[in-house]
Amino acid sequence: MQANIKVKNLNKKYDGFELKNISFEIPEGCIVGLIGENGAGKTTTIKSILNIINSEGEIQFFGKDIKQSEKEIKSKLGVVLDDSFLSEYLTPKKINSIMKNFYNTWNKKLFENYIKKFKLPENKMVKDFSSGMKMKLKIATAISHNPQILILDEPTSGLDPIVRNEILDIFRNFIAEDETRSILISTHITTDLEHISDYIMFIKNGKITLNLPTSEILENYGIVKCSENDFKNISKEDYEYYRKEKYQYEVLVNNKNTIKNKYGISTIDKASIEDIMLFYIKGEK
Amino acid sequence: MKEICGLIKKDMLNLSSYKISLLVMFVCVLAIGGAGEEMWKYIPIVMTTMTGMIALSTFSYDENAKSDEYVLSLPVNKKEMVIEKYILVISMALIGGIIGFIITPIFVNILNNIRADNIINVDYNSLLYTTLGGIFGISLILTIQIPSIYKWGAEKGRIQMFILFFIIILLALGIAYLVTHNLGININENAINAFFQKFGIAIVICLLIFMYYISYRISYKVFKNKSNI
Repeated sequence: MQANIKVKNLNKKYDGFELKNISFEIPEGCIVGLIGENGAGKTTTIKSILNIINSEGEIQFFGKDIKQSEKEIKSKLGVVLDDSFLSEYLTPKKINSIMKNFYNTWNKKLFENYIKKFKLPENKMVKDFSSGMKMKLKIATAISHNPQILILDEPTSGLDPIVRNEILDIFRNFIAEDETRSILISTHITTDLEHISDYIMFIKNGKITLNLPTSEILENYGIVKCSENDFKNISKEDYEYYRKEKYQYEVLVNNKNTIKNKYGISTIDKASIEDIMLFYIKGEK
Repeated sequence: MKEICGLIKKDMLNLSSYKISLLVMFVCVLAIGGAGEEMWKYIPIVMTTMTGMIALSTFSYDENAKSDEYVLSLPVNKKEMVIEKYILVISMALIGGIIGFIITPIFVNILNNIRADNIINVDYNSLLYTTLGGIFGISLILTIQIPSIYKWGAEKGRIQMFILFFIIILLALGIAYLVTHNLGININENAINAFFQKFGIAIVICLLIFMYYISYRISYKVFKNKSNI
């Protein structure tokens, strides 16, 4: 499998915040979820790889450097940014007529179909849309030129579960239609990722601390609930993080079956991505 | 070029919500024209100032929607974004001037028919200089304000622009005072007028090109090196 996106040693420094040596690859046909708490560096990572903000490091799309082939690369990307869009004073109809100037492959009909499918009013200004409607419009705008890669910053925030599901279906179909495509999706709604992502990356304080296939995470990670004495028996190398609760210890392990056999623990709870994220943020080593 | 057209289209469609402002502008022009015999001269100045300021307001639209970030995710680079803004403001200032130049005699003639007791004769030479003066005045503001906006944003940039503008005026007045009072140089106004009659248009055009070019270079450099858009 070839990588559609390759990021190596990405660094970006702000006052009081730093992205430190971020490296990852996004293979063809894959949906990669980028998770982390607010301020962890998800949006900065996305803006850096898109060259929206200046950063240091190697960033390649389709084997080409973003700084050298920026326009060629961006013509094949569909982007949804959480907090920015074309204008609040435009209507979907006007957006349709503007976007064809930016993309040679812009499909007016496809955009109109999405607008109808999402039940968005064609002649209403974006400023009068609800946050869910705005997000649907952003998604319709991002996918109507048949991009090769979708980069989505919090695309399901502000949406109700039904619409969220519809949108996740669109993402699934996007990959199913052409398996050379990829999606990078940053979100804090981790349940969405359990359903659609192939890989999960976790970012904490500007550093990628976990990057694994979703199936591997859901299969191998687990939570041991035990007493203080039992916890003391578990070797430090066998767990990732622990949390001291009121009456027990909760321990995140990354190899459920081995731990079960090694320590004779009868039940280890399944860890959801949200659980893992909470351990990574609030847990102790 | 297609991308620049797209950006211009976006800004023009944004400005279409300015219908009421345009109506107000037309009412202002009517009021100025109706005010008296010499007031017609101000019509092109009002037109260029208003169209120039309307064009400048696209920066506020962009800032509100944080659209610079979004536009940079499209196949558009920073250079094209800055060029587009200059094309837009220059075109708007020129269009304002041209419309002002055309509508003034039409408007004055209509007024002459309504108020036959107050016939106004338009001096076309004077009208041309007023129009050029209007374009030059608004261009001076725009060429200072656009780099300020790129540096400090639409809101803060406006304050910085007024400070800069104030400093420039103070400097100009200071130099003029020094030349006429302290250095005792006598200014021959007739010679200056004759000089401007002969070379005025060429000088204004050259100055405009120079001002916009320098302003563009500064804006692009500021925008290119901006770490947080």
